[in-house]
Amino acid sequence: MPQIPLTIISGFLGTGKTSLLTHLLTQAGPENGGRRITAMVNDFGALNIDAELIAAKHGNQISLANGCVCCSIGDDLMRSFMEVMQQTPLPDHIIIEASGVAEPSRIAGFAAVDRQLRLDSIVTLVDASAHNVHSKDPYLADNYAKQIEAAHLLLISKPDLADAATLENLEKELATQKPDVPMAQVTHGALPINLVLGLNGDYEIPQPQEIIDHGFVQWAGHLNDMPRAALIAKLEKLRPHVLRAKGVLQDGEGGYVLHLAGGLITTAPYAGEASGHFVIIGKPQMPDAAALERIFRQNEAA
Amino acid sequence: MNPHLPHATHIAVHDGHILGVGTADDIDGWQEAWGPLTLNTDFAERSLLPGFIEGHSHMMEGMFWDYHYVGYYDREGPDGTVWPGLKSIDEVVGKLKEIQAARKDKDTPLIAWGFDPIYFTDRRMNAADLDSVATNCSVIVLHASLHILNANNFVMEAADVKSSDNSEFIRRDESGQATGEFLGQLGYYMAMRTTGINLLAIASSPETLVNFANVARQTGVTTATDLVNPIPAGSEHAMREAVDAEDFPMRLVVAFQGNTMEPTEGVARMQELQASNSDKLRFSLVKMVADGSIQGFSARLKWPHYYNGAPNGLWYIEPERLGDYLKAFTEAGIQVHVHTNGDECTEVALDKIEEALRAHPWPDHRHTLQHCQMATRAHFKRMKALGVGVNLFSNHLYYWGDAHINITMGPERAARLDDAGGALAEGVPLAIHSDAPVTALAPLFTAWCAVNRLSSGGVTLGNGTQNISVKEALYAITMGAAYSLKMENEIGSLEAGKRADIAILAEDPIDVGAEGLKDISVIGTMVGGHVHLNQGREG
Repeated sequence: MPQIPLTIISGFLGTGKTSLLTHLLTQAGPENGGRRITAMVNDFGALNIDAELIAAKHGNQISLANGCVCCSIGDDLMRSFMEVMQQTPLPDHIIIEASGVAEPSRIAGFAAVDRQLRLDSIVTLVDASAHNVHSKDPYLADNYAKQIEAAHLLLISKPDLADAATLENLEKELATQKPDVPMAQVTHGALPINLVLGLNGDYEIPQPQEIIDHGFVQWAGHLNDMPRAALIAKLEKLRPHVLRAKGVLQDGEGGYVLHLAGGLITTAPYAGEASGHFVIIGKPQMPDAAALERIFRQNEAA
Repeated sequence: MNPHLPHATHIAVHDGHILGVGTADDIDGWQEAWGPLTLNTDFAERSLLPGFIEGHSHMMEGMFWDYHYVGYYDREGPDGTVWPGLKSIDEVVGKLKEIQAARKDKDTPLIAWGFDPIYFTDRRMNAADLDSVATNCSVIVLHASLHILNANNFVMEAADVKSSDNSEFIRRDESGQATGEFLGQLGYYMAMRTTGINLLAIASSPETLVNFANVARQTGVTTATDLVNPIPAGSEHAMREAVDAEDFPMRLVVAFQGNTMEPTEGVARMQELQASNSDKLRFSLVKMVADGSIQGFSARLKWPHYYNGAPNGLWYIEPERLGDYLKAFTEAGIQVHVHTNGDECTEVALDKIEEALRAHPWPDHRHTLQHCQMATRAHFKRMKALGVGVNLFSNHLYYWGDAHINITMGPERAARLDDAGGALAEGVPLAIHSDAPVTALAPLFTAWCAVNRLSSGGVTLGNGTQNISVKEALYAITMGAAYSLKMENEIGSLEAGKRADIAILAEDPIDVGAEGLKDISVIGTMVGGHVHLNQGREG
C-alpha cells in the first residue's frame, strides 16, 4: 500500500502560508507530475485561487480543475484527517496549512500512527518583516521557537519588506539555530512546487528554468564512478546552501539513489541501470554552476 | 433561591410553570381564578429545591455509556446502575477480561473509558496489559482526561506505529518501543482509523441524548449544557425531536463551537439556530476554546509556568483570531463562553473581550470564562469591571487537587485553584461545574467540592478564603448557572411565573451542612411540571 506523503506548512498568522499553498495548488498540473493534492486549510476565506481553476465548491470543500481539493479544518484537525482519509481515490499528497499557534510536530504525529501516511516534511515560514516582533511576543514566543525548531525547510517570507541588515541578521540567526536545515526566501508564496513537496521522497526535482527564474543555483550532470563517500563529503561541505540534490548513481559498490533533502543526505540501493544523472539546487549563496562543474567534474574541493 | 421567600411549605404548578409558592393558605387563593388545585403529598417529607443547572457538561457523557466504565471512582450510569471504582491497574485489566469473556461478538473492538493513571503511581498501563484481555481484537482504554488513551498491540499493528517517529505524543520505553499509551488527538485518530468507530462523534442521536439526560436527571439536574458542539447543518432537527419529546427529562442548552467556521458565517449560523429555540432546547451561546488542560500540561500559564518544569502549554487558537471571533459575536449580540484553564490564557481572553467591548459596547453581554481555574484576584477584579462571569471547574479540586499541589502548580498556586471565594469576594457572577464526562456529573458533589476544597488525597486546598458557604454553592448550581446562560428569568429559583423545574431531595442541604452535601439522596426531579423519579431511592 503506497503511503501518502504529508507536508505541514507552519508559521504565524500573516506569514504567507496561504499564499504559498495557493501557489503550490496552482502548479499541481500535469506539467509537474499531476499530483492530486488535498490541502487542509485553516482559514478558508483567505484562499485566493483563480476562479477559472475552481471546478466545484460546496460546504467546506473546494475542488480544483487539476484534481486538487481544499478542505477547511475548522476547529478539528482530527475530524478533517478522518474525512480526507475517506476520500476515494485517496490523494497523492496531503498538505496541511497549520494554524498560527499549532505545534507542527504534534500534527506530524498523525503520520506516525497511520499506515497510509508518511511525513514528507514540515515547512516553516518566517516573516522577515515581523520576526523581531514574533520572536518576542509575550504570549507566543515559545510557540514561534517550536515552529522553527520543527522545520525541515525554512522559508523567509516578505524579504522585500525587510532591510538588508535585518534580512542578513535573520538568516544568520536561523542558520545558527538550525544549521542543517535548508533556507530560502519566498515572495508572495512563489516557489516551485517540486522544491517544497517531496523533500523526503522520490519526486522529480524541478526543471532548470523554473529554478533559475526563482534565483536559485542549479547544476546537473553525469557523475557515474565517483565513489559515494567522496560525493557525500562534497555535499556535506555544500550542505548549508543546498535545498535539494538527487542522483541515480553507480560506483564500485553498485547502483544507488542519493537524496539531499531537508538537510539530510540519504542513500538507498538502486536495482535498475543507474543513469548517473545528478542534480543539485541551492540558494544564491551556493557556488555557481561553473564552480559546481569544477567541484563535481574536475574534483576540485567544494 | 428566591430572596423574598427563601422557605415555603407549598408550591402550585400549572401548565409547566409555577403558579405560586408559600403556605397552604397562600396557594388556596389561586383556586378562585384557576379552578381547584389537587394537593399532592408524595414529597411532603422531602426537600424541594430549584432544579439544578449544570452549566458546563458535554453530551458525550451520554455516548460513553455504550462503552465500559473503568474509572477509579464509583459512577452511576443512565439506568441507575452503579459501576464500582477500580483501584489498581490489575483490577482494571481483570474487569476488562470479565467483559471480554461475557461478550458475544469477541472480535469487535472493546472500548473502555474513565481510566485515570494519576491514582496508580507504581507503573503505567501498557500494551501487554491489554493484550492479556484480547489479542485478536482492538482493546482501547480512554483516560478520564480524554487527552490520553491506551491500546493493545492489535491496534498498534493495524496502525503500523512507526518506530522512526520520535513524537512526544507516543509514549516509549527505554528501548524505544511504543508502550501503548498515546497522547492528544493522535491517539484518538489511531483508534478511530483502525476500528472505524467514531469515538468522539458529537452524537446527537436520540439514544445518546436520553442517556445524557438520565445521568443528569438522577443527580437533580433539570437543565444541562452541551458546552461545545459544531452543530453540523441539520443536526439541530434530530436534537429537537429528542429533547422536545414530553418524556425527555431535561432542558438542554447547546453551545455552538465558534471556530468551526469564519466569524461572519458563525454569526449567521447562530442567528439561524436561535430562531429555532424551544422551551427545552436552546442554542443561545458560542463556545471558544483557547488553551488545553492543566493536568495535561497543555494549559497556558504565566511565568513561572509548571511546577515540575514542564514546558508551557498550547494555544488552541491564535489570540488574534480569538479577538476576531469575540468582536464578531459581540457586534451581533451573541454571548460567548471562552474556555481558559491557565492564568496566561485567562489574561489574554480578558484582553480580547475588552477589545471587543471597546469596539462594540454591550452592557449585558455576559461573556463568561469557563474553567478559568488559575484566575488571580486581579483577574476577578477585571472580570467584574468588564461584566464577565465565571464558571469554575470545582470538581478539579477533588479529582486532581493533589496533582496540582505536587506536580502542576505547587502548593502556593494550588491554593487559589478554582477560587470560588475569590470570585464572589470580587463580585463576579459565579457558577461551578463538572465538565462531564471528564468528571462525574452531580451538582451536589460539585457544590461539596467548592464548599470543602478537599482533594481525594485528603488535603485541603487554600486557607479558607477560597471556600464558599453551602448557601453560596447552592446558589451557584441554580441561579448562578442560570445567570451564566441568560436564563435567570425563567429557571434557577422557585417563584411564581418561573418554569416548574424542581430537584426533589431526601434532606435539606442547609440542615445537612458542608460535610454531607455530596451524600444527599436525590429522589427525583420535576421538569416543566413532569415528575421523573429515581428508581429505588429512599431518603
